[in-house]
Amino acid sequence: MHGTLRMIGRRLSQIIPVILLATFVVFGLLQLVPGDIAVTLAGDNATDVRIAQIRQSYGLDRPFLVQYASWLWNAMHLDLSRSYLSNEPVLDQILHRFPTSLLIVGLALVVSLVVGIPLGILAATRPGSRLDTAVTSFASLGVALPNFWLAMILVATFALSYNWFPATGSVALGKDPSKALLHAALPALALAAGGVAEVVRQLRSALIEILSSQYVRTLRAKGLSSASILWKHGLKNVSVTLLTVIGLLVNRLLGATVVVEAVFAIPGMGSLIVNAAIHKDFPVVQGVVLAMVVIVICLNLLIDVLYTILDPRVGLK
Amino acid sequence: MKSNDQKKVAASMGNWIGLDRRGFLALLGGLPALSGTLSGSALAQGTPHKGGILRVSAPANPSSLDPATGGAGSDHVFLYTMFDTLVAYDYASLQPIPGLAESWSFPDPTTFVLNIRPGVLFHDGTQCDAAAVKFNLDRNRSGERSNIRPDLETVTDVTVSGPNQVTLKLSQPDTALPLILSDRAGMMCSPMAVQERGKDHDRNPVGAGPWKFVSWANAEKIVVTRNEQYWRPGRPYLDGVELSIITEINTGLRSVIAGQNDFIYFLSPQQKQVIDRAKGLTAVSGPTLYCVQLYLNWGRPPFNDVRVRQAMNYAVDREEFNKATMNGLSEPAVLTLPAAHWAHDKALDNAYPYDPDKARRLLAEAGYKDGIDINMIGYTDQRSQQRQEVLIEQYKKAGIRLHFTNGSLAEMSAAFLSERKGDGFLSAWTGRPDPSLTYQLLFGAGAYYNPSRVEAVPEIGPALRATRAAEDIESRKKAFAVLQRLVTDNALVVPLLFQFEMDAHNAKVKGYRPNLLGKPKFEDVYLEG
Repeated sequence: MHGTLRMIGRRLSQIIPVILLATFVVFGLLQLVPGDIAVTLAGDNATDVRIAQIRQSYGLDRPFLVQYASWLWNAMHLDLSRSYLSNEPVLDQILHRFPTSLLIVGLALVVSLVVGIPLGILAATRPGSRLDTAVTSFASLGVALPNFWLAMILVATFALSYNWFPATGSVALGKDPSKALLHAALPALALAAGGVAEVVRQLRSALIEILSSQYVRTLRAKGLSSASILWKHGLKNVSVTLLTVIGLLVNRLLGATVVVEAVFAIPGMGSLIVNAAIHKDFPVVQGVVLAMVVIVICLNLLIDVLYTILDPRVGLK
Repeated sequence: MKSNDQKKVAASMGNWIGLDRRGFLALLGGLPALSGTLSGSALAQGTPHKGGILRVSAPANPSSLDPATGGAGSDHVFLYTMFDTLVAYDYASLQPIPGLAESWSFPDPTTFVLNIRPGVLFHDGTQCDAAAVKFNLDRNRSGERSNIRPDLETVTDVTVSGPNQVTLKLSQPDTALPLILSDRAGMMCSPMAVQERGKDHDRNPVGAGPWKFVSWANAEKIVVTRNEQYWRPGRPYLDGVELSIITEINTGLRSVIAGQNDFIYFLSPQQKQVIDRAKGLTAVSGPTLYCVQLYLNWGRPPFNDVRVRQAMNYAVDREEFNKATMNGLSEPAVLTLPAAHWAHDKALDNAYPYDPDKARRLLAEAGYKDGIDINMIGYTDQRSQQRQEVLIEQYKKAGIRLHFTNGSLAEMSAAFLSERKGDGFLSAWTGRPDPSLTYQLLFGAGAYYNPSRVEAVPEIGPALRATRAAEDIESRKKAFAVLQRLVTDNALVVPLLFQFEMDAHNAKVKGYRPNLLGKPKFEDVYLEG
């Protein structure tokens, strides 16, 4: 237990430098992007005077480091400031949009696990068989398919031809759960293809390794059935691998929403940051990056804690 | 594609009564480029009736819903639903017609009088009277947060000269004002709402338009609902409009094909094939002011020589350019105004026929016997690159070798217009409500879109001023004819084509007509079924 707490402490102490680095790098990259939000804000017929005025009123004429420091100071006081474009508080926008992305990511994760785990087990228990070849080929295909392409194929088939699913948009889970799931289904499927592949491949190789290990041979020699070897010993030992895969998968799925949300016109975190980055709406970009960093760090922390529960040796190290 | 349209036109010959003016003109004048409008809902039959909600896929989140503080050209489609303008415009020709102002006049060249329609109410129930108009005009021309101050810079004073009359004092004659008041500057907001809400009026606006504001989920959806007190009897037809913001235009079109939305605008000509393939979808198109053109910097060699500029105009095959880059769905351009525009001078239509040999001769006269290398500025996006490839090939035939330096829109606009890099610039002109603004901004001394910052010939200045001094539309047309002749003879620009507005809607949508400004209005739209 002591080891777990020390590990959590160590992880938490890493948060601040990571956040500082990530937001600073993103802020710096935004400065390199050509274009000027003051020009956007001033409108089509703007005079140079008006643009300069706007630049001044938003503090865009201040040095790069001063702008960053002022954002950071406010963020430290839990004030993520307001969007330059919409004047809405950034935190409100994030809180409004995060559940939408979370639903898609969550659903994609569930699909990845529900489909990936049985397939991985099937393939691992019959290595080299025709079934194994089929499953691994399917998994390779899943990795190879770009999710935006798959998304468009899914829309063309299931939304436009058969009209089974809506082609665009989203509904809040709290508002109408069945409609929300219907809207999230195709984007989640598009995201899950890669996830299924990942789970299958990792689970299969980990399980094959375990099933060919010496202690499994011993178990078999003891007379244990194949089923009980698999369920009692095999799966317990691949759970750490599976946990790692889940952690990586969620992080990747969160990133992939940027593309899939554009294809389905879903107002989530991905489309929020894309729109903000295009217009150099830096408070929003910074806010979303900060939120993403915090989410990823918390997720990794959770995975680490679960490691220590599944495998007590981890905490002792 | 065109023959398909013509078949549809032929099939609808019996239904001429439903034809709008532009469609009628297109048939009479045999303008093949305009036949696109006829395949749209201009021919739709049935009687308009009230009811239903129009679901629209919109390509961009508005910058603001307050006409004075916003800035993006894509805002108008949203603003038109909630705000009426003092002056309206004719869809086909963009001539000014009465709006919230019943009539207007110039008693002397520097006095402009507007007679406001009595009894019009804002959505909050307050009067849209002369005092409210004065409040708006003062706010627009001098308000601290106003983005449209330059539009009204000739106005020095606004007075309420009657309960329904305002009088504007001008620093110089400015007959462009009526059409300027058909744009943002003429959109009337409730003074009470503006004062009470301050900055929040950007996101919670109150106008006097056919629909009133309900909600704006940022970058997601804007909802407006019927204004029961609207001044035009029987209007609007639609109970409401829901504009879903879908920035990816292909995704937006899919939402219409799937039946989640009824209408989408600002499509590209390339999407016409997708619309035609989809069941129950109608493509609507028509010319707009949006002109794809080559800007020339006449302030230094080689374009300070009129012969080189003329060669640039003779060496381009506009018909082929239209076919290659726009599937033929645009209007080839010789002037900066499309053929349907009220100020377009038809006498100049054949000013620059495609003639690469003549271009060569002109170049030789100018001292470029072995051809000429031109440094062009352009954009990196796919459609721009395609245009560049076609132009490079066409100009090569006249010995003009174009060399493009490309970048993003913001970067390259600044490079050519501010930093004065490059000889020419492949870009576009989005148009302005009054053509005098277009010519002033493109060719006037010191204008931002004129990188040389000087007048190419001294006659330009007086000709520009004449267009703003002439009062009635006929004398303004004459003034514009003089100006257009100057611009064309001196080849100050190489207009290439006017982009068509491309919209699509399902079978429920009736009565929609595109307008020359290219920014859809839904005032005539009704739903069936």
